[in-house]
Formats: sequence, structure tokens, C-alpha cells
Amino acid sequence: MHYIAGVTFREVSAGVAGAGETAPTDAELIRAHVDGDTGAFAELVRRHRDRLWAVALRTVGDREEAADAVQDALLNAHRNAARFRGDSAVTTWLHRIVVNACLDRIRRRQAHPTVPLPDGSHSDDRPTGPEPAAPLPDQDTVLVVRDALAALPTEQRAAIVLVDVQGYPVAEAAEMLGVAEGTVKSRCARGRARMAISLGYLRGGPGQAGNRGGRGSVPSESAAVVPLPNGHDRRDQR
Amino acid sequence: MTGAEFEGVDLDLLADYVGGALLGTPDEERVASLIADDPAWHAAFDELAPAMAAVGTTLLDLPPEPMPEGLAARLDAMFRPVPAGAPGESAEPVPAKVLDLAEHRRRRWASWAKPVAVAAGVLAFAGFGLTRFSSQSADDAQSTAAGSSVADAEGAPMVDTSLAQILHTDTDYGRASLGMPGAAEAGSPHVFTDPAAPGEENAAGKSALSPLFASNVLLDCLDMIARENAGGPLSVALVDYARFEGAPALIVQFTAANGGWTWAVGPDCGTRGAGAAALHKVPVR
Repeated sequence: MHYIAGVTFREVSAGVAGAGETAPTDAELIRAHVDGDTGAFAELVRRHRDRLWAVALRTVGDREEAADAVQDALLNAHRNAARFRGDSAVTTWLHRIVVNACLDRIRRRQAHPTVPLPDGSHSDDRPTGPEPAAPLPDQDTVLVVRDALAALPTEQRAAIVLVDVQGYPVAEAAEMLGVAEGTVKSRCARGRARMAISLGYLRGGPGQAGNRGGRGSVPSESAAVVPLPNGHDRRDQR
Repeated sequence: MTGAEFEGVDLDLLADYVGGALLGTPDEERVASLIADDPAWHAAFDELAPAMAAVGTTLLDLPPEPMPEGLAARLDAMFRPVPAGAPGESAEPVPAKVLDLAEHRRRRWASWAKPVAVAAGVLAFAGFGLTRFSSQSADDAQSTAAGSSVADAEGAPMVDTSLAQILHTDTDYGRASLGMPGAAEAGSPHVFTDPAAPGEENAAGKSALSPLFASNVLLDCLDMIARENAGGPLSVALVDYARFEGAPALIVQFTAANGGWTWAVGPDCGTRGAGAAALHKVPVR
């Protein structure tokens, strides 16, 4: 139980109020923080930190870089909360800051290549280090998919992480990335196509013989055009 | 994109079409015509559309990645409210700048123990990213060479400081304020440095703690805390070079299997015969 600005509330997902108790909205928490409530921002962070972390980790692909990016981004948001005008959802704003922090780090990495670490080399664009994933029955598949994702160009990877991995609607991802919806669709589509090739999901594609994990076999029948997620199937959200 | 197997087909354009990026554009009709009239485009579409759908399903099935507890604890510490009456609470409790842990890790490899001065005049976090294993890696072989190596006999990491916040506040903690380390760190400006390279502000009061600026000694100290705590491996959230009831002390906040704790230990912590040199310890709720 937390007490912020005289309002009692439980830890709840955004927009889900506990029975008999009032859960401040994200916007209310931001306003409370700007007004000097020292506990409001911490509650906002607790509410969204897992999703922000997932986005950062998948985008930069390295746990330490992701931790730094999230930390930098949240400090930035903490300092600049007064500039938040409410044009978008608070979570969109937070994600945008985190994504920008991640992209900045990747760009810096590209601009200033570093000496490869003894525990594994990295290129300037691709994720730098091991990204241990949660245990899964088919860990090999997860690792292969993760590698294919990491091999994408940065902009495509960022779009796919938001839309295809985290399940955000294209419109919201566009706000987070600061680009047009069509650009997000294109980046996702081209990224998916690249991954289809690298994962061997195409008949006769380079990886067909090694369709690891046994997933993604291509149906023999022609498929209808596959739209990008519209947000209804978003998981792990709000 | 390679796509060499689809000769004569612009795979990026076809992917845009499949992904709906061309909706309402002149290219939509053009690509539709190519798919209808050109066998190569038709065949490529037949393959790419379901393959892209399969990729989408695969991505959606990736396991969730909850934030590591250590990072979550550090964020909690960064943004927690400043308790009324905490020592030196007059200033902004949230640091203005953090040390880049990933960059710091790379620098450590390039130049061990090279001082890393960070954001002069402001507070900083300094994670030095060491994890001690009984089977020593090249990373910490140097650190254990000089110290009385102590580690978990089963080879598990005893101390994880990869997400630790390193402070040099010189705060004088008491029994009441020990449970809120770091809350008062912004009371006066400091230059925060790698623990192996104390800044020049670390003068009289810090001299007694200077042995603990060396990473290997600090790790020995943390190892001793882990042993005496008897709660399994430690995940260290904060180390503050400070004072306790007026005497130089290292304040260590950590979590272990027996919960969250803050310990105040003396300058002899980790040295042979002194153990952790614990002065006081309080649970952190």
C-alpha cells in the first residue's frame, strides 16, 4: 500500500482501480509529481517499469546497456515531467524517452566502436552481450529468434520490438518512435521479411534446411495479406 | 535484404505491401497488379505473406522479460520519497546523472582501476559491475590475488554489484537513519568516482575508509558481509562511504535470501581477522 498526496491506492495496472480504493491515473501521478509529491514518480515507475525494461532490453540487446538506458530515460522524465503536456498517454511518453535513450546508445556505439570485451565480441549495431532469456521449453528457438531480431537494422528492430514483441498498436508505436504510422508499418514489414529469410521461413530460403525449432513452416496455400497487429491482441499491457 | 531467390522482385516493396504499409498509396495498386500479372511476384507473395505471419507469431511468443530485481530496487531507491527528518534532506534527492555502467564495464577492461570521474559537482551512480565467483575469472583474478579470497564453496556468486549504486556522501548515519541510506546524499556536492579512485574530496574523514576504495578490498568486505549475513548471495544496491555515529563507516544496502538489509561496517571490513567489522545492521522494508 502506498500513500501519495493523501490518496490511498494499491499497486494496480494503469487504469485498473482496486475495489473500494482510488487508483490515480498516470496523468494524475505526473501532475502530483510536478506539484511536488515526491512519491508519485516512484509509483509511476513501478507501474510501467517491466514494459519499459522489456523494450529497452530487446532494442539494445544488452542488459547493462538496457539498465543504463532505462535509468537515464527515467531520470530525464523525472526532470522534465513539467514539459509533459498530455498530448499523448503518459506511458507513450515514457516509452518514447526510453526508446530514444536506447537509440542514442546504439548510435553512440556505432560512432565510437569500443574494444571487444573478453566475454564476447560485438558489432557496432548489433546487441553487445548475452541477453539471458527467461527459461522456456524451447530455448533454442528463443535464442535463434533473438539473434535474428538482433541482426535487423536498428530502426526496424525498434519498430518490431514495440509492435510485434510488445504488442503496441502501430499508432502508439509511431508516437513512441516519433515517425509516421506508415513508416512503422514499413519498418515492421521489412523487418519481418528479413527475419523470415534469416529464420528459414521461406520455401527454398537459405535457412530452410535448418528451420530450427520446427517453427514457421510455410503453408502450401497462399495466404491473405497479413496486417500488422492492431492492438487488440496486445499482451502484457496496462 | 538478400532475397536472391526472388529474382526480379523488390522484396522490400512486397513486404511493405504485405504489411499494409502501402495502403492508400499509388504503389498499392501497382504491387497488386504485379502480383496478379507477374509469376515471379505472384510466387514471392505466396511465400512471403505466410512467412511474415509466422514471424509475427514467433515474435509474439517470445517470453516476457520482467525487470531484474536489482534494477527495480535501484530505481525505487532513486525515486523514493525523502523521509522527513532524514539527514541533509535539503536538496533534490534524485541524481542528475548516472554513470554509464556499460561504458564503465568496457573501460575497466581497457584500463583496470583507471579513475573514472563522473559529472563533477553532481551526484552520480557508480556501478562497478563485479560479481565474485569462487572459480575466479580473468576479471577478478587480480582482485583476489591481493586479498584473502573468500567465496562460495559451491561456485555460486556471493556478491553481485553489477547494479550497485556507489556513493561518497560522508553522511553521518545514526541508528534511525541507517534504514534509508542514500536519502541524504545530495546535501552537499561531491565528485563521485570509481571506488578504486577516490576523489579529492575524500580527505580526513575518508582516509580511514581509503583501503575500501580498492575494488578488491571492497569485494572482500562484501564477501564477509555475505558470509556473516548467512542469507546466501548478496545483490548489493548501494554502497556509501560515510560515517556511522560519527565514525568512518561503509554503509551497504543489499538484498539476500533473508531479506533486505542495511549494514554499517567499519574500515577494517574484509581484512583478515576483522570479518565484516559490522557496527550496526537494520532490516530494510
